[in-house]
Amino acid sequence: MIKITALEKYYRTEEVETVALNKLTFEVKEGEFVAVMGPSGCGKSTLLNIVGLLDDPDGGSFLFNGIEVAKFNERKRADLRKRNIGFVFQSFNLIDELTVYENVELPLIYLGVKSAERKQRVEEVLDKMQIMHRRNHYPQQLSGGQQQRVAVARAVVNKPKLILADEPTGNLDSSNGNEVMTLLTDLNEQGTTIIMVTHSEHDSRYSHRIIRMLDGQAVTENIMV
Amino acid sequence: MLYNYLKIAYRSLLKYKFISFINISGLAIGFTCCLLIVGYILNEVSYDRSNPRAKDIYRVSRKFHSDKGVISLQLASVAPPFGPLLVNDYPDIQKMTRVLGIGTPAMKYGDKNFNERQVYAADENFFDFFNVKVIKGDSKTALNEPGTLMLSEEVAEKYFGNQDPVNQVIRLYNQYNLKVTGVYKAFPVNSHFHPRVLVSFNTLKNPDIYGEEQLRTNWGNNSFMTYVMLPENYPAESLEKKFPAFLDKYMAGQYGGGKPSLFTTINLQKLTDIHLLSHMDDEAEPNGDIKRVYIFSAIALFILLIACINYMNLATARSVLRAREIGIRKVTGATKAELITQFLTESVLITLIALTIAFGLTTICFPLMNKLSGLELTFSSLLSWNILIPILTIPVLVGLLSGLYPAFFMSSFQPIKTLKGFLKVGSGNVSFRQVLVVLQFSISIILIISTAIVFQQLHFMQQTNLGYERQHIVTIDYNNAITENYESFRQQLLQHPGIEAAGRSSRVPTGRLLDSQGSGMIKGDSGAPSNTDLKYVMADDQFIPAYKIKMVAGRNFSKDFGTDTSAYILNETAAKNLGYQNPADLVGKTMSYGGDAGPVIGIMGDFHFESMHQKIVPLVLFTDRSTGNAYGDISIRISGKNIPAAITHLENTHKKFLPEVPFQYSFLDERFQRLYESELKQGSIFAVFSGIAIFIACLGLFGLSAFAITQRMKEIGVRKVLGASVNSIVQLLSKDFLKLVAVAAVIAFPVAWFAMYSWLQDFAYRVTIAWWIFLLAGIVAAVIAIVTISTQAIKAALSNPVKSLRSE
Repeated sequence: MIKITALEKYYRTEEVETVALNKLTFEVKEGEFVAVMGPSGCGKSTLLNIVGLLDDPDGGSFLFNGIEVAKFNERKRADLRKRNIGFVFQSFNLIDELTVYENVELPLIYLGVKSAERKQRVEEVLDKMQIMHRRNHYPQQLSGGQQQRVAVARAVVNKPKLILADEPTGNLDSSNGNEVMTLLTDLNEQGTTIIMVTHSEHDSRYSHRIIRMLDGQAVTENIMV
Repeated sequence: MLYNYLKIAYRSLLKYKFISFINISGLAIGFTCCLLIVGYILNEVSYDRSNPRAKDIYRVSRKFHSDKGVISLQLASVAPPFGPLLVNDYPDIQKMTRVLGIGTPAMKYGDKNFNERQVYAADENFFDFFNVKVIKGDSKTALNEPGTLMLSEEVAEKYFGNQDPVNQVIRLYNQYNLKVTGVYKAFPVNSHFHPRVLVSFNTLKNPDIYGEEQLRTNWGNNSFMTYVMLPENYPAESLEKKFPAFLDKYMAGQYGGGKPSLFTTINLQKLTDIHLLSHMDDEAEPNGDIKRVYIFSAIALFILLIACINYMNLATARSVLRAREIGIRKVTGATKAELITQFLTESVLITLIALTIAFGLTTICFPLMNKLSGLELTFSSLLSWNILIPILTIPVLVGLLSGLYPAFFMSSFQPIKTLKGFLKVGSGNVSFRQVLVVLQFSISIILIISTAIVFQQLHFMQQTNLGYERQHIVTIDYNNAITENYESFRQQLLQHPGIEAAGRSSRVPTGRLLDSQGSGMIKGDSGAPSNTDLKYVMADDQFIPAYKIKMVAGRNFSKDFGTDTSAYILNETAAKNLGYQNPADLVGKTMSYGGDAGPVIGIMGDFHFESMHQKIVPLVLFTDRSTGNAYGDISIRISGKNIPAAITHLENTHKKFLPEVPFQYSFLDERFQRLYESELKQGSIFAVFSGIAIFIACLGLFGLSAFAITQRMKEIGVRKVLGASVNSIVQLLSKDFLKLVAVAAVIAFPVAWFAMYSWLQDFAYRVTIAWWIFLLAGIVAAVIAIVTISTQAIKAALSNPVKSLRSE
């Protein structure tokens, strides 16, 4: 599903050029659950940015479902992104001014899904995440675990092929964290590919494979059995 | 999608109440000012358009100039023969009508006796040119017969109450009986003149009044406003080109042997241009000025600009708070275009809310503005589609324009960074915000300087030594019926201790100087005509004492010298123009004026007969040589100790000598104030709008500094922990903004100087632009900025550092 070859990304300020990704090469197959680990500043977030089609690389190749997307423009990237990719973040990142229902509905609005169908799909996923009763609440009124469930609901409501999770349990206590990991595992078992950046060895054990990064390169891969 | 945008816009408006309030109130006040100014401008450009054929109507104007083209006089009216001869010679002229102002005649009906203002004689086809509704009588025929008149509704009611005025007889000047043949609705405010009484023009044909012969041959009496109607879209310039030949044909002999067209020109002024573009020496009523329209349009734009900049500044500042939302929208699939649309929707929504409030405020403010401006503007003038559509479009445009920068700025955030909270207010957008703040302050400083100079000039005009004493002078109309008994009338006046002097003159100061005749100096038997355009005022021997005008050489007229009936008194400017650097040298010389030779017996100091707009011109005084009927006013100097008693004595004496003439008087001081009335009003409106503009700018600065300080709370905390004093923190926070004010001042100074230099050119006597006004304006702006910022800065500096550091 994702094939990255010799991917490069630099950040430049007036004086310094920082290499974020240094000819990074790796592959993720459809249906895989991959954890990416590494110290701060090793390029994990940059990688997530590029894989999530939020940023373009400075060099190398990026095949998404066999299509070269490294040179895609903003509009094409946005289009591909909203149909195929869902995001889950450490800090949930729900819009404070929107209710639970409205937050989850957002991706469908950008997809241009009709209102009636939106309602059905949002309710379906809220039901699945067991937060239907909270549908009219605002994010501030929810606990951290509930907020992350809403975030996951939002990530999956458009049935993406790929979910990118950036330390999804970082702000949660262990029981809520486990609950979220279980949710992700379930989704993976239903066929969704998952790439998760994490610092937690515990969480990484839910994955099939761990890629360890250092200084913009993938240094080792551990296959979990 | 739109619903979603509106929903989030509404909710974020509520969430950031403080910034929303500043944004909306700034815009609403800005829009209100603009609507008020639009109302004013609409009124100014609406003059004289009530006739459907207004654009085909022209007024004939006349210029007097030397053969070298130096203009000495520009009149909005011409001699009576012009009208009929123009129609006769140029068949393209479809119609012509003449209107003659006939002063302030005493009008009497029964026991009602008043001096009426705005009384005109008008040709019978007057109503073909001026579209006023005739409510009684026939507009086509009411002015046909000699000895008839029409009244405006208000005048009719004053004399007749509920009685039908038609066929009633009104006595004019206590001499002529005129029959009322009609009543018309008042002339609209936006008309260049407002006749309240119209006497039929044919009445003038009576030889006792003016005479048919005079109407046909008097080329010297240029008091007849003459209007012509041309075919639709007729090129008036082509007709004007033929006028020199016309003048040479009919006026031959009027200029000695010279070709008349070398000394005089007639032109056609569009009726619709009169109010804003015509500045003749004898306008029927004071006109407006296109410059004023430009000035106020500029202020409206300035205010709008400042309000928009507020919006841009605050929106970009606030965007940092919304960075996360933008990031989330991006990762959930929003394109840049969709985000831009969302923010533009928001800004248009805000402007529409502001506009709604502005409409409300405008309705409240129109009466206030009318009070200030003396106009009669109404909100309903804005309620027509050709006005409403632009008014409703402009906020949308303003919303789009002022939303554009924030929209682009916000939509280009890096989503992952924003979501991880890494977004810092980058230096790039700060510098753009700085540019905007500088722009706002530049405008504010320009307005402060302009207001200061406008008021300086107004003060200068009112306080300058006029060369005569304008206080405690009462003027009354001179009535010819008193000529024979004038001396005993004057003596009786002077019996009262409160009355010091009374002098007669053909014109009084605060009026214009428009009368002139040819002059020359006589040496031996030969006379050499001078090139000096010498204006005259006929005045008796009491005029100079009554006004306390200084004599610099020679003496005043005196009854002790029988020859003084042919004597002349000149002002200093006249002496200089005639080539006498030392005025005393001129005393005793013989001069001819209007063909009459006589000695120059005195030179008076220059004085401002006219307003400060006019230069002091060469002036000659001489007494009315023949009948004494040429005087127009009596000026009475009262002591000022017991004014009411003096006025009562004046009234009683007047009643005794002129029982049939209504007693009406005015203070010269009031007439003097009226000279600058429109400038004073303009000045106060200018000041109010400048104040509002500066207020809106402060509102924005207040919001922006509040925001900037919030962003620096951590820094403030660290500094305080390290031992910084409150004072040093306030300084630190204010310094950045003060730098901007300094830059703004540098930009504003030359602009303001140039603008005010141009404005002052309208005044013959003007203040010099002083450097300290600029310095003062800069300091005022800085103080305003410091006060605005320091309220926030002090609050921040006093806050508990532990709190701000813990929250990080």
